Amino acid sequence: MADSEEHSDSLSGQPILASGVWKVFGKRVADAMAMARDDVDQAEILARSGCVVAVQDATFEVNWGEIFVVMGLSGSGKSTLIRCLSRLVDATAGTIVINGQDLGEMPEIELRELRRHTISMVFQNYGLFPHRRVIDNVAFGLEVRGATKEDRYQKAEEMIELVGLDGWASNYPEQLSGGMKQRVGLARALAVDPEILLFDEPFSALDPLIRRDMQDELLGLQERLRCTMVFITHDFSEALKLGDRIAIMRSGAIVQVGTPEEIVAHPADDYVRDFTIDVPRHKVLSAGTVMAGVSPDMVLEGEPVAVSARLDAILPRLLTEGRPVPVVDERGERCGVLEPAVVSRYLWRQ
Amino acid sequence: MTSLTARSAGWRRPLAYLGGAVLLLGGLIVLLPDRIGAFPPEWDIGFGPAVNEVQQWWISNRRDLGVYLYFFDPLSDAIDWLLRAFENLLMAIPWYVHVAGVGVVFGRWLGRAGGLAAGAGMLYFVALGLWEQSVQTFSLMTVAVALAVAIGVPVGIWAARNDWVYRGLRPVLDSMQTLPAFVYLIPVLLFFGVARVPSLIATVIYALPPVIRLTNLGIRQVPTESLEAGVMFGSTSGQLLRKVQLPQAVPSILAGVNQTIMMALSIVVIAAMIGAGGLGQEVLLALRHQEVGRAVEAGMAIVLMAVMLDRFSHSLVGQGRMGGAHHTEGLRYRYWWVAGGVLAALAIAGWTIGWTDYPTALQFSYAAPIDGAVDWARDNLYQLGNLPVGTGPFSDFLTTYGTRPMRLYLSEEAWPVVVLFFGFVAWWASGKKLLLGSVVGTVVIGLLGMWTLTMDTLSQTVVAVLMAIVIGLPLGVAASRRDWLERGMRPVLDTLQTIPSFCFLVPVVILFNVGRIPGIIASVLYAIPPVIRLTNLGIRSVDSEIVEASESFGVTRRQKLWKIQLPLAMPTVLAGINQTVMLVLAMVVIAGLVGGAGLGLEAVKGLARSDTGLGFEAGASIVILAMILDRITQGWAARFQPPSSEGE
Repeated sequence: MADSEEHSDSLSGQPILASGVWKVFGKRVADAMAMARDDVDQAEILARSGCVVAVQDATFEVNWGEIFVVMGLSGSGKSTLIRCLSRLVDATAGTIVINGQDLGEMPEIELRELRRHTISMVFQNYGLFPHRRVIDNVAFGLEVRGATKEDRYQKAEEMIELVGLDGWASNYPEQLSGGMKQRVGLARALAVDPEILLFDEPFSALDPLIRRDMQDELLGLQERLRCTMVFITHDFSEALKLGDRIAIMRSGAIVQVGTPEEIVAHPADDYVRDFTIDVPRHKVLSAGTVMAGVSPDMVLEGEPVAVSARLDAILPRLLTEGRPVPVVDERGERCGVLEPAVVSRYLWRQ
Repeated sequence: MTSLTARSAGWRRPLAYLGGAVLLLGGLIVLLPDRIGAFPPEWDIGFGPAVNEVQQWWISNRRDLGVYLYFFDPLSDAIDWLLRAFENLLMAIPWYVHVAGVGVVFGRWLGRAGGLAAGAGMLYFVALGLWEQSVQTFSLMTVAVALAVAIGVPVGIWAARNDWVYRGLRPVLDSMQTLPAFVYLIPVLLFFGVARVPSLIATVIYALPPVIRLTNLGIRQVPTESLEAGVMFGSTSGQLLRKVQLPQAVPSILAGVNQTIMMALSIVVIAAMIGAGGLGQEVLLALRHQEVGRAVEAGMAIVLMAVMLDRFSHSLVGQGRMGGAHHTEGLRYRYWWVAGGVLAALAIAGWTIGWTDYPTALQFSYAAPIDGAVDWARDNLYQLGNLPVGTGPFSDFLTTYGTRPMRLYLSEEAWPVVVLFFGFVAWWASGKKLLLGSVVGTVVIGLLGMWTLTMDTLSQTVVAVLMAIVIGLPLGVAASRRDWLERGMRPVLDTLQTIPSFCFLVPVVILFNVGRIPGIIASVLYAIPPVIRLTNLGIRSVDSEIVEASESFGVTRRQKLWKIQLPLAMPTVLAGINQTVMLVLAMVVIAGLVGGAGLGLEAVKGLARSDTGLGFEAGASIVILAMILDRITQGWAARFQPPSSEGE
């Protein structure tokens, strides 16, 4: 993880590239694919071929060191998609390229090596081994790739400390609370020094408060470790909080990919807009998104704000002063203006 | 979708159809000319004599057959050697080391009281002079279980990893588990003759299904995420099996071993009929000579062994589940080291001073008072004065109004009507396929020349099942309403289910003498636990919200029972009835030993006289009867499964 910088330098392109990925479950896959390509809807495909189209023509890329969130309701195919990325499930069509290697073409042995060294996964219901102590769970990845007992325990101890479970190493998973279990899941995934971490709704089984703690902790870890993460969730606010970029899925298809702000400000369709309705926009939108254009000769008073500033920092001033506020870019040059009327339209748009 | 319509078609065959059929067929019999009676004996295809010829040929040619020379005989020798070695080892160890050793193991796992009780149990075997027989039975069972595990676990793993194997194996295992232990003895006779090795082979085969099943189940039950996690860290399939699947399957495998042990014990006892020796033979001989006291002594020894083995393997399951998690390593092992050391020292001391056998002077027997009690019971309980109270009048009543009319109806009235009736019940319970199966099956029984005997066995089965339901269902309902009753009944039911079927014959002979009735009473006792258990369970597991919803409409207790609880509990109750039917059949067959006429008695005769052909005919009829009864009760139960639970 410490050397992930090197990877990004040495390898051209993204760690994960998915293009035209399909996954169809059932026996008459070919028929179902043909129908799906003709835009027959899912219910009819199911009725006519008995197949379920779980992922439909998904194309996206994940950048180095970012948290890429895939958000969708249950049954939208997000769990299947993340399983395609590690070939726990074989994609029906399309290509997935991990670190420049085509996953679909990869022979069994190389795939195993990839899983041993490059990709790790954290599971919704923790996926812990109930018959192993915490430390043996955490050391599992090192054990299967043949590390000595001493080495793997040392590394496992470090990881247990990293996720804040010091002193719990000899306990069995059943003796831990949900949040602690997921910390073990996280430590286990991190112990193999992966470049890519896959999270399958890791926090959805946790209580709201613990979930928030875990989210903060994950962000903190990401600050230090900088690995590439793909994070599945059905919770839009979690997606906004964690995601550098978010892909929104609906019945197997990706309907929009963008930064949290892009999605809140410009939802691609009504489906996406529905999610954004309850979002506290002032916490997501920045000055750059909601500013109006400005003519160079326009006279503006008051201290300017940065394009990247969040609205919640600017709003009090905008409301109390009641007049336009200038916006400046990174070089300090004026690039726009915040008009109360325009801002309010962004904030209370239905 | 299709299953839903099929289900609702099933619901359209109400109980009233069955009543109608009974009336109609009863009328048909009256109308039909008298000369159509039981299945014509001249249609007997002579299967038995043919089997005997095969056996004759087999016996005279076996020395020249490669399979014997190079496979069966060496195998048989190896098994025999293993058995003897194990027996000699157990016999060589001084008796008090056994008592202490068993006490130490049980004491560790079940607490001090458990240890003392187990030690006392061991003392029973030696003090009653049953030590050698106990060792024989125990060795036979242990070697059989070891073989069953050695074969069953790999097969179970294979089945878990290969759906084709599983699909092929499942119907075989299903059928194997419906057959009474008894019929396993018959085919091994043909190939191996009467001795201990054939008994062992029959035992291994009989006891194999649960290990295979539960190994397979344990591996398949490993949560998907756990597997995915294993795969995601790059495990090879061997690593996945060793590090992820098998360890998590251990509790299930041990549960399978527990079942296997209990099944093995029950058949090892019955296998006395084909020369297995041991405690079973002791009971058998005693029953044959009408020495009830001796039978009780040996029977109690079997019960004790069963209970101890059951407790032992249950705590094994417990140990497997905890994984010894809550002890620190050092402490865990020190106990065993110390105990082992002390026991070894005791054994060596015994050998040096030559004191290994239990002193004969200290032996005791309670056979005489039991015999006295039996005489007293025969004189006094049989009939109280001139009142129609006692076991005698009870037997007479059951015979006059239960078994005899039913037997006469089934075995002497027009056989095509009986076949039709069977077919109709099969269709009513399940559908066309079973109708065909049961018609073919019943006709085959006739062709085997077993018509009358089968109908005799069937009538006993029906009477015993009805008694079990009439007694068990209300008990189950009562237990579901009262926690204290459930708690109180649990140990009784546990014990009833632990005791090998064979042992039930002893007390009923005391009270009811010999004949069909003691067999029926023993069957009811043996087979009643599942009805009680599953009625209770079925009612208790009805969703409490549904019950509350009904209460919010102001139902009475009776309405709640009949309209909500029983209908929803029906699938579970019927599963219990299915088990009960199969247990009754198994027991009715064994009751041939105490004069319960029918297929069982015939098979016993066949075994006793080495008339394998007769044994085969009776055995085949038992198998057919068991299959039909099982499918009918299962089909009936399946129809009550609410549609929603289907299609997963």
